[in-house]
Parts: sequence; structure tokens; C-alpha cells
Amino acid sequence: MKYLKYILRNVRRNKLRTLLTIMALAICLMLMTFLYGYLAQMEVWGREADKYNRVVVMHRQGFAGRVPFKTLDEVRALDGVVAATPFAWYGGKYGDGTEFFAQFGTDPNTLFEVWSEFKIPPDQLAAFKSERQACVVDRALAERLKLKVGDRVPLQGTFYQFNLDLKLVGIYESPETNLSLYFNLKYLDEGLRQLEGTGSAAAGNCGTIFFKAASADIIPDLCKRIDEKYANSSEPTKTQTEKAFSQMFVKMMGNIQNFILFIAVFVTVSLTLVAANGMAMSMRERTTEIAVLKAIGFPNHTVLAIMLGESILIACIGGLLGVAAGRGIYALAHQVAPMVIQISNMPWEVMAWGMLVAGGIGLASGIVPAVLAARLSVIDGLRRIV
Amino acid sequence: MDQSFQGPAVVVRDLYKEFYRDKLTIPVLMGTNLQVERGDYLALMGPSGSGKTTLLNLIAGLDRPTRGEVIVAGDDLSKLSESALARWRSQHIGFIFQLYNLIPVLTAFENVELPLLLTPLNKRERAEHVRTGLEIVGLADRMDHYPRQLSGGQEQRVAIARAIVNDPVLLVADEPTGDLDARSAREILDLLSRLNAEFGKTIVMVTHDPHAAERAKKLVHLEKGVLVDGNQQPRDQGIQVGTSEGIKA
Ligand SMILES: Nc1ncnc2c1ncn2[C@@H]1O[C@H](COP(=O)(O)OP(=O)(O)OP(=O)(O)O)[C@@H](O)[C@H]1O
Ligand SMILES: [Mg+2]
Repeated sequence: MKYLKYILRNVRRNKLRTLLTIMALAICLMLMTFLYGYLAQMEVWGREADKYNRVVVMHRQGFAGRVPFKTLDEVRALDGVVAATPFAWYGGKYGDGTEFFAQFGTDPNTLFEVWSEFKIPPDQLAAFKSERQACVVDRALAERLKLKVGDRVPLQGTFYQFNLDLKLVGIYESPETNLSLYFNLKYLDEGLRQLEGTGSAAAGNCGTIFFKAASADIIPDLCKRIDEKYANSSEPTKTQTEKAFSQMFVKMMGNIQNFILFIAVFVTVSLTLVAANGMAMSMRERTTEIAVLKAIGFPNHTVLAIMLGESILIACIGGLLGVAAGRGIYALAHQVAPMVIQISNMPWEVMAWGMLVAGGIGLASGIVPAVLAARLSVIDGLRRIV
Repeated sequence: MDQSFQGPAVVVRDLYKEFYRDKLTIPVLMGTNLQVERGDYLALMGPSGSGKTTLLNLIAGLDRPTRGEVIVAGDDLSKLSESALARWRSQHIGFIFQLYNLIPVLTAFENVELPLLLTPLNKRERAEHVRTGLEIVGLADRMDHYPRQLSGGQEQRVAIARAIVNDPVLLVADEPTGDLDARSAREILDLLSRLNAEFGKTIVMVTHDPHAAERAKKLVHLEKGVLVDGNQQPRDQGIQVGTSEGIKA
């Protein structure tokens, strides 16, 4: 485009003003992409999950209900179910309680079949399967807790009245950091059975069942069959893909999401006004110049494009810097607080969205000054009476 | 541009122009007539506020008359739409302003190149034209200078290069020496004379400076909305109104 040079020079014309506009945009977009990146984690989980054909069976009441082991056995027996493993959220306290991480009781024999993307050395897996009090963690969590194979990992129950005295036997690798600890659910279950009264109520159950289906296209039918089978039982189920399951967490964040969206809209609008002010001032300063261009014969649409090009360019530079900075602090936050930012890289959708917003701000902030410039009367512009 | 066109460069017939400000009608041109032949060099004088710039703008197709005809290089400007008029200007008119009006962020080369961006010429062809233009005004060695790095006289020469680079039929200059010292003004006037004599450019120049007016081939005065012959003062408004007969000396 032959006008690019002129647009670039115009951008650099009032360096301070351009810089301030760019900074305002960059700071706001950094914040917005960071917040959206936080919200988008669940989406990323869902998207990742889609690759592995995993299905989740839970109680129809949701997280409050439990699924009996009998159901697990029956699900395992179904055609099209490759492997199924129980999950029970332990939610215990480790050490002084400052480090939060997920702890799940599961079946060591099937966990790595359902999560086939997790990689663990065979000897460590064998130890996990054979030792009742064994546990495994992913590499990131091991590093965070400074644990090595052979260390004891005592967990204090919070809603289970049974403390776990675990021993780390294996460290697995996962494609995305998941900061989880897995132990043998049998150990917890037997512990619960020893308890008296309400403490033992949870025994014989798990929270959810995760299973791997043979292929993606049989999943809808499987879900339907399972739910129909238990519809009239005392423990009805709700079966859905891991992706749909992850959406439930998104819905739980619903209000936060709306709140962030609400803030984002206001920030965007005020940013647009700030940028528009800058553009309007630039245009005013250049009234004569624009009139000269039009006198020479530049058509209105070219004048419009030159002015819009300038505002969009400024906004996109701000957007690029903001998104890059947002990505940076996102990665940093993942290091510092991995339970809050669980994935290491900001999802690309969030970055694309950030750039789109930046471009939109550029367009919106430039459109009024650009139209005014295009519509400027040449003689008025030359007389400087505008 | 229609180079084969042989009629007068400019024909202005019975031209009226009024401005409207705050419900006030300001009559500026009242039945002006003017004819500029090809290759002519016309100086337009008159008191401040007499409507010189207004007339020049109408001839250059920057503004529309209230009434009357403006025919430049055979084209009736009233028949052109706004966008067609913009296109027409880029092909037929070269503008020279009192304050040069170069784009400050573009170099001399890039300023001169501007009108060529509207043509189908490619980059190399444009560069050739620009170089020729700058050579004519004697500034080929200042190609990469920005306007702020040039003197007023040099800026005006760059502006002249920009005005001629498209090879227009008509050059319109509104007080081209108004902001220059005597020496620079002389240089600019020399250049305009040369463009007229050597390159056959038709020039209409508004000026307050009698020395500048002397350099033109013809002189007309604009007084109270009408043109009068440059060699005589308007004796009687009634007789002079709307006539241009006297100019054709
Ligand atoms: N766009 C406009 N709106 C209102 N009035 C205008 C406009 N343009 C010109 N005028 C009026 O028309 C009259 C002639 O203006 P013009 O600029 O043509 O004068 P001029 O002869 O060029 O004067 P000067 O020698 O000072 O440049 C003035 O009274 C001016 O105020
Ligand atoms: Mg004037």
C-alpha cells in the first residue's frame, strides 16, 4: 500500500501523544487478556479433553451426590468402554496448609489407561499399583512441593474424618501442568469403613467415574444408555463428555465471568473515547494538510483510509504490546500461583480476542475523526476556519 | 488531460458567488467574466476581501459557484460530481499556496510524489517524474530533505514541483510570494515565468505585490465583485459590472 509510509509517519508525528495512547491501550489489554485468560482455562481443559474421548459419570444431583462402586463395575462392562476409573476428591491439608493442590482417590490399575496422555516410568506405575499407601504426583507439583520419590506425604482430612499417610512412589509427566496427586481410593475407602456413624457414610462410593470411550461417535449413545439404565435407581446418573463436564465449572464461575465482561466493556468504551480524543486532536492539527490533499485530488475514501489506518495502527501496536505483556504475566502467574493460573501459556483465543478488541478500538476511535476529515470542505480547510 | 484541446484554458461566464454565514448573505462575486487563453500568465490583484481567492478556488474546481459558468480546458465544472471533480483536479490543476503547504512528515521527494500516487504510474515511473520535477525547480539535491530543513523559498519550489509533476493544464497560485523575502520571491517569480515561457504552462496568480504582477503577461483587478482591466482603475461601477471586455487587450 503506497500510503503506508505516510500513515507510519503520521503515527510518529506526535510521539508523546501516540506513546500515551499506546500505553493506555497496552495496560488495559494486558489486564483484560489476563482476566480472560484466567476464565478461559476451563475452555482449554474442555478443548484438550475432546482429544481423548473421555466421559464423566456423576450423580444426577451433581457434585453433592456420590456414585456407588457397583455402577463403576457395570460401566466397565459396557461395550465401547475402554477403561474406567473412579475419582474421589479428598481435599486434604498438606503441611501447614499454605499449599493447595488437588488430591484424588482413584484406581491405580486404570488411571493411566483413562489418562493415556500421562507418562510414568513402568517401575513407578508398578509400585503405585502394588503399594496401598502409594501416591503419584505430576512433575510440576513435585517440584513445587520439593518432593522426590520415596518421600512421605501426610494429608489431613478436612471433610473426610480420615487422614492419609501417603508415600510418593511415582512422578508422571502430563502435557499440561495439572498439579494433582493421585492415591489409591481403596486405602481411603477401607479407612472410612473403620469409622463409626456418619463418618463411614461415604464408603463404597466415589465422586465421579471417568472412562475412555473407544471412539468419539459412540459417546452420545453411551451417555444415553448409562443414564437411562440408572434413571429409576436410587443413585441416578448424569453422564457427559469431559468437555461438557468442564463447562459445569465455567457455569459455576458464571457471575465472575459476567463481572469481568462488564468491566471489560466499560474499559473498552472509555479507552475508545481516550483514543478518539487523540485522533480528533491529530486531525484538527492537520486540517490544512488534509485540505491540501483533497485539493490535489485525493478522493474522500483515500483520506478516510489514511486516517483510519493511523488509528488502527496505533491501537494494534498497543494491542500487541498489551497482549504480549498479558501473556508474560500469565506465564509468571502460572509459576507463582499455579493453582490460580493452571496452564502455562495464555490460550491463543484470548490473544486473538485481545487483538480483535484492539483493532475494534482503533476502528471505533478513528471513525469519527476520519469521516470528518473525509468530509472536510477543502476551501474551509485551506482558510483554516474549521 | 485533453492536450489536443485548443480553446481557452479558462472561461468564466457571469459568475456569482455568495457565502452564507449566520443567516447573512455575503455576495463576493457578482457577475464576473474572465477568459484565460492557453499559455497565458495572468495576475489577479485587488484589495483584501475582494474575492480573489474565491475566484481562484472556483476556477480550480475547489468550490462551486452560486450561479454562472466555469469552463476549464473545455470541461464544464458544474457537470462534474464531487468525486469526479477531485479526479479532474488531480489531472488538470497544479496548486501553489502562499504558505507552501507541504506535508511536514514527508520529504521533498515524497511531497512531490503525492499527486502521482493518484495515477497508475508504478514506483519507478513516479520516481522519474519526481526527479524531473525537482530538477526543473533546481532542488534535485534536496530530495531527501524534510520541509523544516528547507528555506521558505526552497519549500515553495518544492511546492511548485508538486504542482507541475502531473503536467497540469493550469497552475493556480494564491499569493505565492506573499510569505517570502524579496530575493526568494524573485526566484519564485523567475521560476513561474520560466514554466510559462519554456513549458507553456497557463498560470493564474493572485498577488498583492505589484512587482509580482509586473511579471505576468496580463493583469486584472478584482474590485467589489467584478473584474476590471489591470491598466485602468474602475471609473464607474455601472459600466464595469460583469464585463471582461477591457481585459482582452
Ligand atoms: N467560506 C467562506 N465563508 C464565508 N465567507 C467567506 C468564505 N470565503 C470567503 N468569504 C468572504 O468572501 C470575501 C472574499 O474572500 P476572499 O478570500 O476571496 O478574498 P481575497 O480577495 O482572497 O482576500 P485576501 O487578499 O485577504 O486573501 C471575504 O469577505 C470573505 O470574508
Ligand atoms: Mg485570498
